[in-house]
Amino acid sequence: MSTETTTETSDELTQRGLIDRFRASPFVSSLLSNRLALAGIGIILAMLVVALYARFFIDLETITQSQLGTNPNREPPSAAYPFGTDGQARSILPRVAYGAWYALLYGTATVAFSTVLGVGLGILAAYYGDVADNVIMRTMDVLLAFPSLLLALALVAIFPDGLGLWRAVIALTLVYTPRFARVVRGAALTVLENEYVDATVALGAPDPRVLVRHVLPNCLAPITVQSTLNFGLAIIDIAALSFLGFGAAAGTPSWGLMLSNGVNLGLLTGDWWWSFFPGAALAVTVLGFNLLGDGMRDALDPRMREAVD
Amino acid sequence: MSPETEETSRRNVLTAAGTAAVSVSLAGCLNSSEDPSDGSDSDGNSGEGSDGGESGDGSSGETQLLRYGRGSHSGTIDFQNSTSGEVAKVTVQMYDTLINFEPGASTLTEGLATDYSLEGQTATLTLREDVTFHNGEEFTASDFVATYRRFVDDSYEYYAGDDYVSAYGPFTLGSWIDEIETNGDYEMTIQLTQSYAPFLRNLAMFPSAVHSEAAIEEYGTDLSNTAVGTGPFQLENLDDGNERIRLSAYDDYWGEGPSVDEAIFVTIGQNSTRAQSLASGELDIVDGLGAQASQQVDNASNASLERAEGINIGYMAFNIASVEPFQDRRVRQAVSYAIDTEAIVNEIYAGFATQASQPLPPNVLGHNEDLEPYPYDPEQAQSLLEEAGYGDGFSFELATFQNPRGYNPSPIQTAETVASNLSEIGIDATINQQSFSPYLEYTAQGRHDACFLGWYTDNADPDNFAYVLLHPQVDDQYLSEEQDWVSFDTEGYNTSNRSGWANSEYMDLVEQGQSTYDESQRQTLYQEANAIAREEAPWVYLDYAEELRGVSNRVSGYTVAAISGPYLNLVSLN
Amino acid sequence: MISGRFVLKRLLLLVPVLLGVASLVFSILHLSPGDPALTIAGNRASEEFVRQIEESLGLNDPIWVQYVDFLVNAAQFQFGESFILFRDASVTSILIDKLPITIELAVYGQLIGISLGIPLGIISAVKQNTLTDHTTRVGALAGISIPIFWSGPLLILLFAQILGWFPTSGRISAIYNVEAIRLTGLLTIDTLLYGEWEMFISAVKHLALPATVIGIYSMALISRMMRSSMLEVIRQDYMRTARAKGQGSKITVLKHGFRNAMIPVITVIGIQFGSLLGGAVLTETVFAIQGIGGLLVEAIRVGDYPIVQGTVLTFAFLFTLVNLGVDITYSILDPRIDQ
Repeated sequence: MSTETTTETSDELTQRGLIDRFRASPFVSSLLSNRLALAGIGIILAMLVVALYARFFIDLETITQSQLGTNPNREPPSAAYPFGTDGQARSILPRVAYGAWYALLYGTATVAFSTVLGVGLGILAAYYGDVADNVIMRTMDVLLAFPSLLLALALVAIFPDGLGLWRAVIALTLVYTPRFARVVRGAALTVLENEYVDATVALGAPDPRVLVRHVLPNCLAPITVQSTLNFGLAIIDIAALSFLGFGAAAGTPSWGLMLSNGVNLGLLTGDWWWSFFPGAALAVTVLGFNLLGDGMRDALDPRMREAVD
Repeated sequence: MSPETEETSRRNVLTAAGTAAVSVSLAGCLNSSEDPSDGSDSDGNSGEGSDGGESGDGSSGETQLLRYGRGSHSGTIDFQNSTSGEVAKVTVQMYDTLINFEPGASTLTEGLATDYSLEGQTATLTLREDVTFHNGEEFTASDFVATYRRFVDDSYEYYAGDDYVSAYGPFTLGSWIDEIETNGDYEMTIQLTQSYAPFLRNLAMFPSAVHSEAAIEEYGTDLSNTAVGTGPFQLENLDDGNERIRLSAYDDYWGEGPSVDEAIFVTIGQNSTRAQSLASGELDIVDGLGAQASQQVDNASNASLERAEGINIGYMAFNIASVEPFQDRRVRQAVSYAIDTEAIVNEIYAGFATQASQPLPPNVLGHNEDLEPYPYDPEQAQSLLEEAGYGDGFSFELATFQNPRGYNPSPIQTAETVASNLSEIGIDATINQQSFSPYLEYTAQGRHDACFLGWYTDNADPDNFAYVLLHPQVDDQYLSEEQDWVSFDTEGYNTSNRSGWANSEYMDLVEQGQSTYDESQRQTLYQEANAIAREEAPWVYLDYAEELRGVSNRVSGYTVAAISGPYLNLVSLN
Repeated sequence: MISGRFVLKRLLLLVPVLLGVASLVFSILHLSPGDPALTIAGNRASEEFVRQIEESLGLNDPIWVQYVDFLVNAAQFQFGESFILFRDASVTSILIDKLPITIELAVYGQLIGISLGIPLGIISAVKQNTLTDHTTRVGALAGISIPIFWSGPLLILLFAQILGWFPTSGRISAIYNVEAIRLTGLLTIDTLLYGEWEMFISAVKHLALPATVIGIYSMALISRMMRSSMLEVIRQDYMRTARAKGQGSKITVLKHGFRNAMIPVITVIGIQFGSLLGGAVLTETVFAIQGIGGLLVEAIRVGDYPIVQGTVLTFAFLFTLVNLGVDITYSILDPRIDQ
């Protein structure tokens, strides 16, 4: 990355529209020239296509129900069943494809909820300061005191089984929110110290405008990077919870659950394909998000890089 | 980059690589000098380790160790502290009951009592002499009395406490015993609260074992991790951390064996991993095998799959009280005809179970040979539904647990099959799956429409199924002539009866059976009761599951016992 | 430099956090479905018996009484007795029994990660933007992306079942009486201390695969951190020295850079503790190692609340302490931070 790139002053930045700023920033241009990041984008887009195809063209009923008696049971990969069949004689290929939909759906939900919640809390804490700041940040500290999978496990146990994978989403949202809150609060505090903003406040501009127009854009880069990195984390954590039995209901074509059944019931009897393909799909998808996130972090202004976990 | 910097980094890499290489080769070359019996050998020569090999060949004069693998650890070794079968497996090695079950059978034989009889409301027992506890004390009648009082008598000085004793206290002994009289050290008379046919069998159950009175006084509730019994093995080590229990042979045991020097119970949670450990020679006997793991054992060259008839039942209970359609017997029969239990048993349980036809399994007194399981007949089901006025079908919620249990190795799949069978006759079943603990509460409170459950016998007595599971046990005043069900909220309702069924004819027969001692009379009574139960169908009878064990080829003398096993004192290693 | 006030302030801040942690744990478990008394009593129990158990467990007391009891006990590391899994054993004793199991696994995994990750990170930084660098970076990313519950079982299939080089599960062969030589609970240490060579080898063979699985993940994280902090330092120092001296001695730059680069790496190693625990849960489940991770999962499944409470609280406490230690270490080591 060249050390001679000029950075616009924050004054000029705030005067342009959000999207224009995004497109013209050195961030995006260096990102796009990073081959690894492009590879990541490619993988993610490929998975998105698979996920959408599965959602709209594969019948969920057929791939969930047991096909014993109709299909051969525990067949190794062949022309008819490219990924083989599992212990309920279901073809694994369409199940893995549908799993992409679940992964992206629930992953997006988790990241979206935790981002919104975390950003909101972070800005509120930074802006209102004092008591609000203390209460919010201490609560965040409490949540951060737990190793993430442990907290997710403990939370997931409360929710009724009927919610299925949404339990994992809720639990993980609570686990990831503190990280966002911290990042955003830090960035927001920096911005709020800028006299320009203080002046606006002195002139009596109402709170939301100040927050949205001035604070948010400056947090955008670290938030984006954190979100992308958390995407990979969310997908793996949701799969881990399913693997341990606290996620999807039985029969659901979720990668974590398929892995669990494949490992417990198939692996040691030699039916390696049952767990191999869902796991490979999981690894590839997460790799895609990590490649992109990594590239994004490289493209970040070094000052902000430290803010990101 | 300058050559020097490359040198530095190369040195770092080399150091790191070197360390890694050394440790890997250490593991590798150490391995080559030993039999690779920790992995699997597909050509059949695993299990016989070379000297010092890890498969624990110990037959050449070294300590003979019998390794038993199971699915969960038992954190207590006091049989009065838990109702869990896992605890029982270990305590039966160290403690004895007054009466025993014949290994692999359900007939009774002598234990610590050499003579026993039941007449009217009195049980008379003569106790065995010259039996010593592991602490050297002689066994006498006062040990049994002390053990009994510790279990159920809160006025006893050494009563173990409300938070310590298990529900087997009242269930097995407390509710039936009025008084115990001893006559000397070896004669005992027990006065019952009523005529109770299963009583002698209750004395053979694992919670009825005998503690040493001296140990009770010395250890109190520490008996949960110390053992002083009269059994063939004594406690060597209870390792909660590594979840193993090591036992050593008690040389002064009064009975047969043990032929091995030591036995160890090892915990391996996953069925397939446990089966794999057996196949690779790391274990000698494993239990808790599901359908898939059993096939793994079957395919292993150094072990075999032993099967025996179980004494259990898996069923789907109708909550008759809360679902109106279920209140018509024809509807329950229709559902029974609509569900293909043969397919379930053959495909989902992989043939390791047989179709059930009635509440009592085949090897229990009173099982009615003339009753057939409901055949799969959707047409008959449809016409019965129409007769009952539900030709258009209806919907209900089927509650199920998620984790496999012996009597139902694939509950979700079974539920899905049931739902799809029923949809063919217009009945819509939605599946509500829960984890086992909340599930037990949910169904015990009668919040289900229908539920899966099962029962492993405690004592192989018909009463243990017929009365415990299908008799409401409420006062007559709550029963009504017009209906053969009661609500779960009824005072004193027996929540083990998950169907709410209250059929007076059945109840009479079963009450009589409980207090009749004549075997052939009991048989007739229960056969009739079974016929009613099949006809009235408060349950859909799903399966009787087999008992499955994986047994290594170096083991001999092992019998698969559906009750009161494993009999490790009879096992020897080649 | 670090002041006593800084440490004291941070320690004091711990108190409300830990209070919040304990409260969260308490409320989580009281919101969970299922009746612990019913679970303990089992399904042979009459209603009366279940009530009896409820009484004796204090479950009928008002909620705030239970809350205060819980807090007071937790402060003394008393978490009560296990309901189901280890009937009547105190949760503290179970944790003491099982903690070494997880620690042994985590430490060896971390050692593998460190011994491979640091050199890889350095090479990657030193050869920045070459093929070696890119390969290492993608490799490290792959290491983080591959789920343990996929790679673990595949390693078992390949190395334990097909090749037969390692055992499939557990910590040590059943024939060894390891309970008799327990000192620390760490098998590799205890067996060596007693001179039990065969046992030591068995323990090492059992550790190999699970530690490797954790090690791969750890290595990936460490190599990335090493690389980026090394790059930072190189850039700064190199520029500074180059400007001051014209050419500058590369060895001095690198040596100096290495020392500075290690600071964030050390903190990463500390912070890793958290993700290692998550990794331990999964690794222990896959390899049937009965450490705290596996215990927690099982306890949640059967509803053994005291164990869940005790485990989660202990972990949270340790994790908070480690984070505090890392913060303090960081501020000591990093001359840039002004107290």
